[in-house]
Amino acid sequence: MNTVSTVPSSVNSERPYHLLAIETSCDETSAAVLRNGREILSNVISSQIETHRRFGGVVPEIASRKHVESITLILEEATQIAGIGLDQVDAVAVTQGPGLVGALLVGVVAAKSLALALDVPLIGTHHIAGHIYANRLVGEILYPALALVVSGGHTEIVLLESEGVFRILGRTRDDAVGEAYDKVARALQFPYPGGPHVDRLASEAQEAIELPRAWLEPDSYDFSFSGLKSAVLAEINRSRMKGETPSFGSLARGFQDSVIDVVTVKAMRAAHAFGARQMLLCGGVAANRGLRNQLAALCGKAGLPLIVPPLSLCTDNAAMIGAAADLKWRRAEFTPLEMKAEPIFSLEEWSVTK
Amino acid sequence: MMTELSVQPPSSPVTVLAFDTSTASLAAAIVRDGMVVASSQSFTERNHSVHIVAELKRLLAECGLKPENVDAIAVGQGPGSYTGVRIAVTAGKTLAWTWNKPLIGVSSLEALAIGAWELRIGRHELTTGTVWIVPIMDARRGQVYTSRFAADYTGHWEALDSDGIRIAADWTGILHEQASASDGVSEIWFVGDIALHEQTLGMSDRQDGVPVRMLAFSMEAGAVGKLAWSRYLRGEKDDIHTFVPNYTQLTEAEVKLQAAALVRRD
Repeated sequence: MNTVSTVPSSVNSERPYHLLAIETSCDETSAAVLRNGREILSNVISSQIETHRRFGGVVPEIASRKHVESITLILEEATQIAGIGLDQVDAVAVTQGPGLVGALLVGVVAAKSLALALDVPLIGTHHIAGHIYANRLVGEILYPALALVVSGGHTEIVLLESEGVFRILGRTRDDAVGEAYDKVARALQFPYPGGPHVDRLASEAQEAIELPRAWLEPDSYDFSFSGLKSAVLAEINRSRMKGETPSFGSLARGFQDSVIDVVTVKAMRAAHAFGARQMLLCGGVAANRGLRNQLAALCGKAGLPLIVPPLSLCTDNAAMIGAAADLKWRRAEFTPLEMKAEPIFSLEEWSVTK
Repeated sequence: MMTELSVQPPSSPVTVLAFDTSTASLAAAIVRDGMVVASSQSFTERNHSVHIVAELKRLLAECGLKPENVDAIAVGQGPGSYTGVRIAVTAGKTLAWTWNKPLIGVSSLEALAIGAWELRIGRHELTTGTVWIVPIMDARRGQVYTSRFAADYTGHWEALDSDGIRIAADWTGILHEQASASDGVSEIWFVGDIALHEQTLGMSDRQDGVPVRMLAFSMEAGAVGKLAWSRYLRGEKDDIHTFVPNYTQLTEAEVKLQAAALVRRD
């Protein structure tokens, strides 16, 4: 097992504890300080979106270079805003994976260096656990809970039977929702990142072009969006061949209707099947209004409480990493300094063991 | 030069924690007043990010050093493997910031060159005149990260070129031509990652040319620490927040974007 457990005296004491968390898995450099696992003292996020925009997407080597440029500055801001001294940091948490390996490495090496320099435990943290536990920064989670994780890189339905125990019920077999949004946005000639543009265009459209829904096998909670993306491109080509101007609005609406229908219906089916007491919506695509509204309506009808974190906690940020790391802190499940950044990282295996 | 107002007594030793991960070698050392106190080198895994911090911890413990006993953090700034250089630079920045110690970056190529040079001096392999020490790190596709230093046995050491990525064959040609044309150059030493480029680098080792030596040599952090120590004595240090690796070149994506912009301008 990849944990060390010498329990620092601070774990079970009454005094407040502080986790310093770092997230560098993609194109945001972020550091945060949490008090007692749930109170955000700071959550500094440096987005590289302007840098990557001119390339039409995230360039991994550039993302890694940017992380090195800003890492200590972001750490300094996070501790200054939190108003704590480094000697008050009780543990250092960092995104161990999944993510872009070169980007992860910067955060991981910084976190290890901090753990050595401050002589405190290191907590390697799962990025998706972070997205899910962002909800614990908003409200108390009731178990079993069902998490719908939708972001640029991930689309997963996760069951939490008890605190910190993750079971993946379904995941995308090809593109993540956010990826499909960005690809469709490009076809609709929106600049990167185009997801929010598609959401807006869809909500303004009066009509929808009916597009296919990939339900897969009847019992499956998995997703597939590559066919839907191809259908959008085919529809654009078809109308151009006929000399017509494709209706981007109706296409955006048709695309969004299809995505939201499949995602929400499967999430609700899973919630029902596993007796979930709460629905957690998380990940950057949780900002999508169409998705929020539809899920809220379905949860309302089913009498299932829905938690959606504010946007600043939905997109990649270090506070959510601290919130997930708190699961391990309270159980004194720490990570050795020889930890390896994991571009592909199992959420289920990251579950707590106590 | 010491002044009467100097706060630090001249007898107080300066301890530098030095490391470099720009090459296949994970190199770490403790250097006190320019002397290597402890040093380690490992090649077990290319993934230096796994071992670097644990190795630094081990080395500090081995020397019985606490954070307050370390006076400066010295780090190889590259060039070299992009990912590799980022690992040492990130660790260096974070340790220096957390401990509030000066961060001193040194050229990984210069460390490679001076490390090989000092090893040979130690063995009394003497020649006369000026030797050009040319550090070599493979940069793929016939390219090398390289530079040129002039050294002689009076202790003279001088950088003649800036660190850069160069085509091995072209670079070798230039060096041989210039060495032949100059009076004082007695030998050219190619040091470092030479195995892959031995044929290219030796190609102009003609009867009439300046003699060439090929010295396979892997990075040692003692040299990083010594170079940093001399910068420390000159009162030099780097700004922790803005310190970045010396990649010597833009990313491929940026190069392509610039090329596209040039085409549009035409």
